[in-house]
Amino acid sequence: MKSTFKNFYFLAIILLIAACSSDDSTEIDEEKPTISVNYTSGFPQGCALLSRGETYNFRAMVTDNSELAAYSIDIHHNFDHHTHDDQVTECDLGEIQSPVNPLIYVENFTIEGSLTSYEINIPVTIPTDIDAGDYHCAYSVTDATGWQSRTSIDIKIVE
Amino acid sequence: MLQKILGIWLFFSLCTTAFAQDSFQIKGIVQHAKDFTPAQGATIIGNNLYAVSSETGAFSINNVREGTYSFTVSHIGCEPITIIVEVEQNMEEVKVFLIESATVLEEVKVNGKTKKREALEVPIITQTVSKEFLEQNRENTLMQTLSKIAGVSTINIGSGQSKPVIRGLGFNRVAMVQNGIKHEAQQWGNDHGLEIDQHGIENIQIIKGPASLLYGSDAIAGVVDIQPNQTPLPNSFGGEVNILGESNNDLLGVSAGVTSRKDKWFYRGRLTYRDYGDYKVPADRINYENYVFELDDNDLRNTAGNEADASLGIGYVTEGFKSETVFSNVNAKNGFFANAHGLEVRTSSIDYDSSNRDVDLPYHKVNHFKITNNTSISAGEHLLHIDLGYQNNNREEHSEPVPHGYMPTPPDTKERLFIKNTYSLNFRDDFNPTDKHDMVVGLNTEYQNNNIGGWGFLIPEYNRFTAGIFAYDQFEINSNFHVLGGLRYDVGRVDTKAYYDWYPSTVNNADGSTSYIHYQRSKDKTLDFGSLSASLGLSYIQDKTSYKINVGRSFRMPLANELASDGVNYHMYRYERGNLDLDPEVSYQLDLSVEHTENSFSVGVSPFVNIFQNYIYLNPTSSYYETIQIYEYTEAEVFRIGGEFNASATITKNLQLDASLEYVYSEQTSGPKEGFTLPFSPPLSGLLSARYQFEKILIFNKPQLIADYRITAAQEEIVPPEEKTDGYQVLNMSFLTEIDVFKNSLPLEMRVKLNNVFDTKYFNHTSFYRLIDVPEAGRNISLSLTIPFQ
Repeated sequence: MKSTFKNFYFLAIILLIAACSSDDSTEIDEEKPTISVNYTSGFPQGCALLSRGETYNFRAMVTDNSELAAYSIDIHHNFDHHTHDDQVTECDLGEIQSPVNPLIYVENFTIEGSLTSYEINIPVTIPTDIDAGDYHCAYSVTDATGWQSRTSIDIKIVE
Repeated sequence: MLQKILGIWLFFSLCTTAFAQDSFQIKGIVQHAKDFTPAQGATIIGNNLYAVSSETGAFSINNVREGTYSFTVSHIGCEPITIIVEVEQNMEEVKVFLIESATVLEEVKVNGKTKKREALEVPIITQTVSKEFLEQNRENTLMQTLSKIAGVSTINIGSGQSKPVIRGLGFNRVAMVQNGIKHEAQQWGNDHGLEIDQHGIENIQIIKGPASLLYGSDAIAGVVDIQPNQTPLPNSFGGEVNILGESNNDLLGVSAGVTSRKDKWFYRGRLTYRDYGDYKVPADRINYENYVFELDDNDLRNTAGNEADASLGIGYVTEGFKSETVFSNVNAKNGFFANAHGLEVRTSSIDYDSSNRDVDLPYHKVNHFKITNNTSISAGEHLLHIDLGYQNNNREEHSEPVPHGYMPTPPDTKERLFIKNTYSLNFRDDFNPTDKHDMVVGLNTEYQNNNIGGWGFLIPEYNRFTAGIFAYDQFEINSNFHVLGGLRYDVGRVDTKAYYDWYPSTVNNADGSTSYIHYQRSKDKTLDFGSLSASLGLSYIQDKTSYKINVGRSFRMPLANELASDGVNYHMYRYERGNLDLDPEVSYQLDLSVEHTENSFSVGVSPFVNIFQNYIYLNPTSSYYETIQIYEYTEAEVFRIGGEFNASATITKNLQLDASLEYVYSEQTSGPKEGFTLPFSPPLSGLLSARYQFEKILIFNKPQLIADYRITAAQEEIVPPEEKTDGYQVLNMSFLTEIDVFKNSLPLEMRVKLNNVFDTKYFNHTSFYRLIDVPEAGRNISLSLTIPFQ
């Protein structure tokens, strides 16, 4: 019987040693991608005014330590002031208004070729029949691991 | 002659008188101290003197000479008491008051085995939590109280709610059992707490390991089993009122309970009410990504809430039969942090800062109604147990209606509604085929019916039926060596219901046309599952050391959301996609436990190794659905290793030191997140406690000072979308005492507790608000007063 329980101790020690020695044979990616419009040609900048009927190139820089995978652009109204952006500047919001025919721009794109840096450049035409007012432009980007970064910008669509 | 005769007669008669004067009668009465009812049949035993009390409790002992005598008075169900009687002339009636033995169950000790010994013999590694522990360590929620136990932690949602986590696994991987019935609510939910009144619980058994054999699906990581309360003694009445106040969230709580038993019928009831304001964190602002939320007076905006609970139990006990039915209702309302709901940053026109006690949007409210019946029948060699349960869980989540993607502004605030009915029937037969064997065979069945409502879709409606049969045998090789082996088979059927969006989405077709579609989010599907569970364990007791080893296979049936969800969770910014091909989760675990106890110290270690064949989790992919990141329910092989260490030493008669350590390492060994850990992995953590018992000071009886120092390491092991969390050290102090207010009545119990003494700003890796960088609660002073009555 004694020897059986010596084995228990032995097993317990093995367990503890195994627990403490983590062999990181698999390299894991712990870094999120980054996203920014804070450079000269980044668009839109905080509080930007966009005119109906115009076409704008939406541009943002995205980077990752290993492999960029996909990004999205989401333009939606902020007529109810439900949220604010994460940019440094604070914009003057218009009156709270009810949406009649707001612009909804919801698009996803993939980034091919295992890139570690990429400039998003998507032309968007603002339709002439949509509601003017406060809007949000939200960018997001993922890497191949599944990490995501987002940024959100307050903009205004004018006549 | 006559004179002589007279003289002799007188002499003798005088003598007789003198002798008679020398021998007295002791008269007395034996009563129960509690209610002054007579104690019939009490034995009063002294040196060569003996009496038994009558129906009125009276007794008498004749022919006792003058002097001092000692008697022992004993009665069934009472503590034996020794009395000293001065026998002399004109002595008064002796009054004896008997105090009940602590519990009915302690009478079982007569058979030679204490509960403690039984626990040592069972090869399943369990931990028992007593009422005393719960009262001394009571925190805001039951799980926060239990998290002092190594290997048990919580996922907290603010100050008023928390979910159980055992060795790093939580949600539906821990079975919560109350009165033999599995507690069924919306356990899968991120911001869902446990709907159980933490007052009035006498005994909890925790299994830190797979326990499907005994509890079926969901007990894959462990069980928190709240045992039925003990049957009160005949002709007893008792109760207590507990009042609690806290400074951090301005909490006021009252809980009152009574128990009563005449002869065969017994009753118990409890009412609990708690109301609290926003809780304070040691920070003026929260920095989450690029957002900054200024806090008003350190209040975590809109985290106030309240809770009202009631329960009533009615029982009948007689020779060989016992049955108790308990009705309970838990009703709670909690606000969620207003600046960010989940990960979604929000601004609002609601004036949250006008009061720290109101609950504005977003909030949830839940009502959990439960009826349980536990019946035990002893039929010859067999002890039959039948547990019946009905539960109705009604949970609503409200938030300000906001348009998202193609969803227009919803008509009201009711974002989600879940109504779940659960019916349970458990049966087991406990018998001893021989002296050496203790066999149990049983059946568990459960039917769930889940309904949904509101404008936000997360999980489909479903019906689910599960049934399992099991048998296990505890075999005594010798009095110190026990083996337990068991097998179980479960079948289950999940019926998911179809769901379509209530609004149309815009779809640009390949031919250039545009259509407007009400997307289907879940399908009508019937899925069948079956799974085997098994367990084999040994326990060996060698003097002061006990050893246990257990190997087991456990399972968990996939949930309806894991199978069939298909929609956007806007608060978490993710599109959740289920997978109809998921198999029941299967886990194998090897557990060890060694405990050594000496008079002045004890040490214990309980390591484990665990392999999941297919751990189901929500994996963030790199793809998008309408600009929302797609998360998919995925299976992966997982390897886990870890354990707990406990040590306790009595330094002097008054000073006791305790230390514990807990650690889990998890790694996904296959699948898209190979090499990563599991979500919500608790970091390495240790707890040092010192307890000093003072002598009686004035009216303070048994005053104790306790210091708990928690040291937690940083959590560097993360999986998307988690953040690494720094380590921290937090000191909690408490002072416990009994107060003798009135003579001859039970003492008041008082507790003053100071949590987070230095108002340390730290983050808990497994807290719901961790994702938005909200620190844990700041300094809190709580005062608890318990007033017992009889």
